[in-house]
Amino acid sequence: MPDAPLAQNAQTQQQKPPQTNEPSLGDLGFTPAQTEANAKLQARLNKRTHMLKIHQTLGLITLAPMAATVIVSSGAKPKHSHTVNGTVIEPSNAGVDLHAALGSATAVMYGLTAYYAIAAPKIKGVKPKGAIRLHRDLVWIHAPGMVLTPILGGMALNQENQGEKPHGIAAAHSYVAWTTVTAYAASAVAVSWPIHWKFWEK
Amino acid sequence: MRFALVLAVLAATLPAQAQSQWVLQQSTLTWHVTHPMHEVAGTSHDAKGKGICANGECNFLIAVPVNTFHSGDSNRDLHMLQVVRGADFPMVTVRTSLPQSELNSPTISADLDVQFAGQTAHYSHVELHRTRHGGDVEITGTIPATCSDFKIDRPSFLTIPIHNEIPVDFDVLWSPE
Repeated sequence: MPDAPLAQNAQTQQQKPPQTNEPSLGDLGFTPAQTEANAKLQARLNKRTHMLKIHQTLGLITLAPMAATVIVSSGAKPKHSHTVNGTVIEPSNAGVDLHAALGSATAVMYGLTAYYAIAAPKIKGVKPKGAIRLHRDLVWIHAPGMVLTPILGGMALNQENQGEKPHGIAAAHSYVAWTTVTAYAASAVAVSWPIHWKFWEK
Repeated sequence: MRFALVLAVLAATLPAQAQSQWVLQQSTLTWHVTHPMHEVAGTSHDAKGKGICANGECNFLIAVPVNTFHSGDSNRDLHMLQVVRGADFPMVTVRTSLPQSELNSPTISADLDVQFAGQTAHYSHVELHRTRHGGDVEITGTIPATCSDFKIDRPSFLTIPIHNEIPVDFDVLWSPE
């Protein structure tokens, strides 16, 4: 702490001696809004944290069916033979069903994950800042993608069932899916950024 | 007669030396959190403080609203506020009491009482460094705080909790009032 101020300053204090020589919080000039407890705000913060923890957990779990859907996608589309006549090998029903089931599971999990983020209480006066902004902004890519991907997948399947090669907007199914997966993964990484890998440190 | 005059001068001077006040002009307080995947710091410049020296003893108080610490991520700051029960206990206060005779030393060993998150922790022999800037005095140091000192449930990411240590660096500038 600082050394004793000049005697001249001390004399000024002598004319108006403080009641006690221990400063109190009231001496510092904070407003009551700054110093008083706010139980309602604490309850909102608690609820917010609780819901966002569920959001985080569900979001990470969603990565599993999402990755599985992508992995099994090759079994859900026709394969072109490399022989001279270029025959097309249709996918098995099981392959298509597995891809569709995993995609549906992903969509349901995604919806639940989104619910916990949307329904978490907002705190007045706090504007998104930092990594959370990118996390939120990426929603504009993966949310429409998550809606479009199964619709386009269904359209593509219908066209294939009618003996047609997927065409029109349905042909974009895999591109939309990959964009959605990339944006979703980037969103998960963004909220954790910057990452320092120091698992070897206790 | 001369002796009486000296006594009178002394009597007038002693109380003047015994009474003095200091006010906090500038402050930078920074908490540090370590996780195997993250190292994060949150800083506040909104501390206020006062020091009163009387009868050879100086008492200092520094207080800062918990919600003025910013780490650069609003989501993390709100989570921090929740974890440390910052709405129930919105202020962090640090108190210390020192003999006035120790105040001129470039290094001061201080005992600090820190009130935070509804708990009070005592830190003995915290080393403070003192630098003069004209009439003002800059004090720097680190409070070796831990989550367990304040019964804070350590937040976790990917099921791994942050380290228990949450040291708080401070750099404060005092001016005579």
